Amino acid sequence: MNHILKIKLFNFKRFETFEVVLDPKLNIIVGDNESGKSTLLEAVDITLSGSRHKVEAKGLENLFNATVISDFLKSDRKYENLPELYVELYLSDQFDPDLNGKNNSDIKTCDGIKFQCQPNHALGKEIKEILKNPASIFPFEFYSISFTTFSATAYSSYKKYLRHLLIDNSQMSTEYAIKEYVRDIYSSVATPLEKSKHQNEYRKHKDEFRKNTLQALDTKLDGYKFLIKSSSKSNLETDLALSENQINIENKGKGIQCFIKTKFALSRASSEMDLVLLEEPENHLSHINMKKMIDLISHADNRQILVSTHSNSVSARLDLRKSILINSSSTVPILLSGIDEPTAKFFMKAPDKNLLDFVLSKKVILVEGDAEFILMEAFYRNTYADELHNSDITIISVDGTSFKRYLNIANKLGIKTAVIRDNDGKYQKNCIDNYSDYAAFTNIKIFSETDDLISTFEISLYNKNTAICEQIFKTPRRTLPILDYMLTNKAEAAYVLLDKKADELSVPQYIKDALQWIKK
Amino acid sequence: MDKKVVFAVAGSGKTKLIIDSLDTVKNSYIITYTVSNHKNLQDRVVRKFGYLPENIKLYTYFAFIYSFCYKPFCHDIVNTKGINYTTQPSQFFKKETRGHYIDKGDRLFSSRIAKYLIDFEIIDDVVERLNKYADNIFIDEIQDFASNDFNFILHLAKVDVQLLYVGDFHQHTFDTSRDGSTRKNLHADYRLYQKEFEKGSIIVDTSTLLKSWRCSKTICDYISKHLKIDIESNRTDTGIIKYLTDPAEIQDVFKDNSIIKLFFKMHYNYECYSKNWGDCKGEDHYSDVCVVLNDTTFKKYLAGDLHNLAPSTKNKLYVAITRTKNNLYFISEKLLKKNEEVSHAASR
Repeated sequence: MNHILKIKLFNFKRFETFEVVLDPKLNIIVGDNESGKSTLLEAVDITLSGSRHKVEAKGLENLFNATVISDFLKSDRKYENLPELYVELYLSDQFDPDLNGKNNSDIKTCDGIKFQCQPNHALGKEIKEILKNPASIFPFEFYSISFTTFSATAYSSYKKYLRHLLIDNSQMSTEYAIKEYVRDIYSSVATPLEKSKHQNEYRKHKDEFRKNTLQALDTKLDGYKFLIKSSSKSNLETDLALSENQINIENKGKGIQCFIKTKFALSRASSEMDLVLLEEPENHLSHINMKKMIDLISHADNRQILVSTHSNSVSARLDLRKSILINSSSTVPILLSGIDEPTAKFFMKAPDKNLLDFVLSKKVILVEGDAEFILMEAFYRNTYADELHNSDITIISVDGTSFKRYLNIANKLGIKTAVIRDNDGKYQKNCIDNYSDYAAFTNIKIFSETDDLISTFEISLYNKNTAICEQIFKTPRRTLPILDYMLTNKAEAAYVLLDKKADELSVPQYIKDALQWIKK
Repeated sequence: MDKKVVFAVAGSGKTKLIIDSLDTVKNSYIITYTVSNHKNLQDRVVRKFGYLPENIKLYTYFAFIYSFCYKPFCHDIVNTKGINYTTQPSQFFKKETRGHYIDKGDRLFSSRIAKYLIDFEIIDDVVERLNKYADNIFIDEIQDFASNDFNFILHLAKVDVQLLYVGDFHQHTFDTSRDGSTRKNLHADYRLYQKEFEKGSIIVDTSTLLKSWRCSKTICDYISKHLKIDIESNRTDTGIIKYLTDPAEIQDVFKDNSIIKLFFKMHYNYECYSKNWGDCKGEDHYSDVCVVLNDTTFKKYLAGDLHNLAPSTKNKLYVAITRTKNNLYFISEKLLKKNEEVSHAASR
């Protein structure tokens, strides 16, 4: 199967530079809003389409990195410093000399194609004149758009080195989007020759209808004649629609539309397709349909897929190892391909977690339960007189037994991770021996009470703040010892403490230690 | 892999040798120098297969060296746009500086594209590229490769694929390019010329295509005797060689559109079916030919001294004579001009 090996962006939208190596089959691009997931798909779509028209419709001013443009305008505006933009797709070897060469930024002989916008040097003199005026805006109009292969051969939308389909579920259901989609589907299954034949036949039928049926009316027109339009706005491709069970998909719900489109794109019926770009497949889908969708994607093994998603569960359930994380603050993607299989499989099956928060963080405190999670902010404030959200520390509550799953990922990604857990009465066994595999890693540290008698967080908290706890939880009718009450109502008790006495709480020493270590 | 240069005589089946090696499987690259020969080869390929198979790539030399060899490795990095065929590079720029190869408008000097590839060792990338995409490479009209381009075709012999160069030393009438003293005396001596190929580990074959199919024994004997160029005929039939002096006869031949009139130069000054000697190279569809002798050549002709013509003139004359499949007529250009009917036509 022909596929993309690597994508490189330069000054394209929010990416000043960006490079990512792709899996030949499944790639899940995960990231927050505004992180550039869609931008990546858009870059691939433009480059593969080879369509100058598409670029012009979007407008160069919208494709260029805004910072680079404004920096240039603020600078001394030298002609030779005019920024350029490119998108390079490094392709698997297709044994086509027209694709192969060194005309890429890696300066390496390989197959690939490139979309590029450069100042049109033939108009150099005019551009210089414009730049002289300090009030001038950026001369986008003097840029040239080119689509070339790595052998420096120009290509256009007619020549497709990789057949692809973009399914943009975030911009569904406008009439235009649906038309565009149906046209794409048609183009992906019909050869250029077939298309020409169909267009021709369609025009012939229209004309026959005019001659055989419509013409009868012409006698009443006194010299005029009815015509059936045939132009770029009314032809086979504009009249084409897609139906399922005789219902036009335009008339179905958005969710179902997405589903049908994706299903079609991934099915073997469209075997001519090399690459499917799926934009946020989770949009408009119910939980059940979402599961079906994930099933569809994970079983499509006959083409390369690029999925963009902001859903934790899509990424984790498809296969964490195929995920590419894009962070809105950095332009370096994080690949999870190094994660071991049991860990990846664990997250495929585990309940939805804030895995995304975890992998996108630099410093994380993992806590065992909700009680620690609720009070951690107050602990931080009382220790450092600052708010936790001002630091770049993320707190994540995990099920006690799955710490190690997170630690495996932390290891791969170099995330500084503090684990805060109970010793459950066996400090040596639970908190030392249990994590001996991680002892050598400096980015991971386990924090807990060392005294076996202080087996849980609540005991530690009670010991440190006995007076406050006694005062708050004491009610006339409560017969249960206060500590026992806290142990049986962990989250509730933590919440009440936070609500009433947050500022006065003393922080257990092992938590203090953890905060100090992670803050460094 | 076989690397061979076959030196052939006119009409002995050079093109056929290439065409016979083609099939619809092997990736074949065919390179010609002249555009007319490119067209000729394309026609022959289409005649063999009924269409132009995708695995057969036809290039003229400059399209090949620029698009296939230079661009994939240098286009972006060197930042050039096209070829400058008209001006010669200034001697002011030293080797390995940009101006040595590229003009101020970022165009490559045609005579130094090959030199660029060699000087900057891009030739190794080119060889690798050919190893990957080609199963065999053919270069026709090899005798016209001169100067840096000759060095280039020797370097190409590093490929691991079948390489076949064909040409006729005596049909050397053009140079792909010239560059000062580079390979200036390449064509001065046939034997030394062959040696250059041998030095490049290319086997020289002068025997396979020694006999002409196009020219009869009469013509071949004439050339061997008077031009002192070795050529034999595969045929046993004979033809007529006639020197025309009778004005009426001259008029008949002049007006006969089945007989091409071949002039030393400026054939367009005569209103008849005509071409220049050098321009009909590679053509193979003339039954009878009339060679018009310019003054210099005519004097040598009368003196039986044609083999002492300047080499380039002699080669062109050889090309002209060997176009005929049957009969050959000679006319003195002077006599032609004197002929009333003809000169009347010429002055019109």
